[in-house]
Amino acid sequence: MKKKLVSMLLCTTMVVSLLVGCGSKTEEAAPAEEAATEEAAPAEEAATEEAAPAEEAAAGLAYAGELSIMHFSTSEESEGNGGSDGFRTMIAEWKSANPGVTLNETVLANDEYKTQIATLAAAGDLPDVFLLQGMNTKAWAEQGIVLDMTDIIAKSPYAADYKQNFFTPFTDDAGKVYALPALTGGTCTVVVYDKQMWKDAGYDTFPTKWEDVVAAKEKFAADGIDTIAFGNGGKWQANSCLMSTVGNLYTGTDWFTSIIGKGGAKFTDEAFVNSLKFAQDAFASGVFNADFNAITNEDAREYYIAGDAAAFIGGNWDVSYIMATLLEADETKYNNIGFATFPNPADATAATNLQNIGMGFGIAINPKVAEDPDKLAAAVDLAYKLTGADFSNYVAENYALSGVTAVADVDLSGFDQITQDFYNYSYVDTTPCEIYDSYVNSAVWDVFNTGLQNMLNGDMDPETLAADTQAAYEANY
Amino acid sequence: MIGTRPAFVKILYSLEEAAYYMLRSIKPKGRTILLYLCIPVVWYVFSVFIPLITAMFYSLFEWKGGPQKSFIGIENYISLIKDFSFWEAFSHNIYLVILCIIGQIGVAFVFVLMINSRLVKLKGIHRTFGFFPSTVSAVSVGFIWMMIYDYKRGILNWILEITGHADQTKVWLNEPGLVMSLVSIPLVWQFIGYYMVILLSAISSVDSEIFEVAELDGASAFQRAIYIVLPLIKNTLLVCVTLCVAGNMKAFDHIYTMTEGGPGTSSMVMAMYGYKVSFAQMNMGYGSAISVGIFILSLIVIGGMQKALNSLMKGKGVE
Repeated sequence: MKKKLVSMLLCTTMVVSLLVGCGSKTEEAAPAEEAATEEAAPAEEAATEEAAPAEEAAAGLAYAGELSIMHFSTSEESEGNGGSDGFRTMIAEWKSANPGVTLNETVLANDEYKTQIATLAAAGDLPDVFLLQGMNTKAWAEQGIVLDMTDIIAKSPYAADYKQNFFTPFTDDAGKVYALPALTGGTCTVVVYDKQMWKDAGYDTFPTKWEDVVAAKEKFAADGIDTIAFGNGGKWQANSCLMSTVGNLYTGTDWFTSIIGKGGAKFTDEAFVNSLKFAQDAFASGVFNADFNAITNEDAREYYIAGDAAAFIGGNWDVSYIMATLLEADETKYNNIGFATFPNPADATAATNLQNIGMGFGIAINPKVAEDPDKLAAAVDLAYKLTGADFSNYVAENYALSGVTAVADVDLSGFDQITQDFYNYSYVDTTPCEIYDSYVNSAVWDVFNTGLQNMLNGDMDPETLAADTQAAYEANY
Repeated sequence: MIGTRPAFVKILYSLEEAAYYMLRSIKPKGRTILLYLCIPVVWYVFSVFIPLITAMFYSLFEWKGGPQKSFIGIENYISLIKDFSFWEAFSHNIYLVILCIIGQIGVAFVFVLMINSRLVKLKGIHRTFGFFPSTVSAVSVGFIWMMIYDYKRGILNWILEITGHADQTKVWLNEPGLVMSLVSIPLVWQFIGYYMVILLSAISSVDSEIFEVAELDGASAFQRAIYIVLPLIKNTLLVCVTLCVAGNMKAFDHIYTMTEGGPGTSSMVMAMYGYKVSFAQMNMGYGSAISVGIFILSLIVIGGMQKALNSLMKGKGVE
């Protein structure tokens, strides 16, 4: 009898624990260990922050209880990355200013974040506050899973200082805005080059014409050096960090605006096909490293750092890594860093000096939060804090970067020349254009990116890629 | 599984007999047995059955993520049948299955014969080290082999260069025609030891007198392998083939680590295509249809493989 009782008890516990395990998995879907490790870090940061900015924020908050947020500024990511560091610092400040609100953070690495947030969106189970990727805006807004923030943004204490062009990816056809652009505005395409190496090859600055780059190739190849290092192993790099700029050089910036607004532009338009043809020829010309399709941008930038390549093309995230690494390892090479826009191909005459820049993610709020006005007020307050003047000042003072809120008179004199150069490249000296994959949707870009990899290998012709992409665009957008 | 029935039935009978005596001595209540059975059944239902049923359900909807779905009947399946990318991925899986059956089980069988030979010393060490790669995580294996294939710093190109074949060096993982074979090598390498251990245990259960007699009768090593060992471990081989096919129909992690299906779709396998459609393209309905497609195709391939192996074995004089 005793045995039976024990066995029954054991069985029930096991079954119950099994059921509980499954249940919590679907409900929370937040990797427990990540959340736990993340908890500790901001807490200590919070302790060191002074309470000054806290007072103004705390004044109006009536909400006491839990608020969940999901983001991808991990502690690893925040080292050297101004946007992440600023984001984490703002969260810590907000927490200490609002002790009545328990902020439940789920922090994942960027790639995992995208998968996880997509899964939660599909399940209709998004956290209260999260980062919305520009290209998901329209689809998620149609589904009713993101809150219309048009009025919230208009009423923001920083409304007058918002840089309006950063809001475009988060705006639907009716003009409603669904997110406050977060983190820092960073370039997605920058040519990082070694001034000394190019000088030795006979160029005082990086060429502004593509044919000069091709001519320089002969000189570098003689030394066994690649002219430009590039990595497209993840398939998105050639889209985000190359075609977004090259395409705009050929089509002009209006073409993509028309693609976004379904204004009649097509991927099969001649100018865009020409940009694809150029890209195919450029990669066939031997200017880039031969393994560009097999390695990622992380590997390619190492070629530059090691001196195996005279230049590198990537985004602001690569630049911060290169700068941090060289500053530590090789100061001479650090001081030789130069920044340049992608050189114009001979037949690309629609624009010059372009670089695609934007803010890919914005702070969005789950509409369910609006059921409790106090809770909504807390979420909105957090969104203001994460994107407002405090954030912009922090990243400007510490990293020479800029957020969505403009801050007047950024004093760059405290930064070294290279950091100042990059600030000027990003925000002052160049003409901005849109980042393709901040718009449209992933179904279209997945087709484009996969085909692009084939095309750059020479296994697909530009016309076929353009037609396939156009078909995906018509079917999915 | 027609061929396995007699042995299976025999085992069942002996099990039943044992169970009968055991039941007489301990005799737990029917309810207790049921409760114990509950655990694996509930586990199975939650982890396999419910996801399968829900995938079948969702595959009937157009569902691009989010709470809104619209019922479209079998339209997803019609698109699946016409989807070139899916069938291309399927052909890659089949290629993988064939390579792995030959590479994993075939090579494991040869290794087992070698280890079993009287000339080989330190059998335990061979067994342990052979099994070792199976315990390494797929992502690590993927990274190790990426380093081997690396264009500038990889060991493969380095060997080619120092042996005077510098013209043969390639960006290995960027060769559409080669990439499927190249990504299956790590898979083969990792799991040879796994099948080796299974086959070793099968051979060790065969009476060693049989081999001695055959050797006395003048059968060569090759003849012994084909006409004695193979038929005697046929059932184990069948299990190995089933495991191998099932494992490779859902191959994902190694290839995802090494190429993410690239260049283009040259190393795309079905599971990866389903993942991409579901999570990168956010097309959950169609993604579910792909999962159901993978399930059905895997059943067909596994069934077919078993039939084929059975009829092949019949030629060797075994039922």
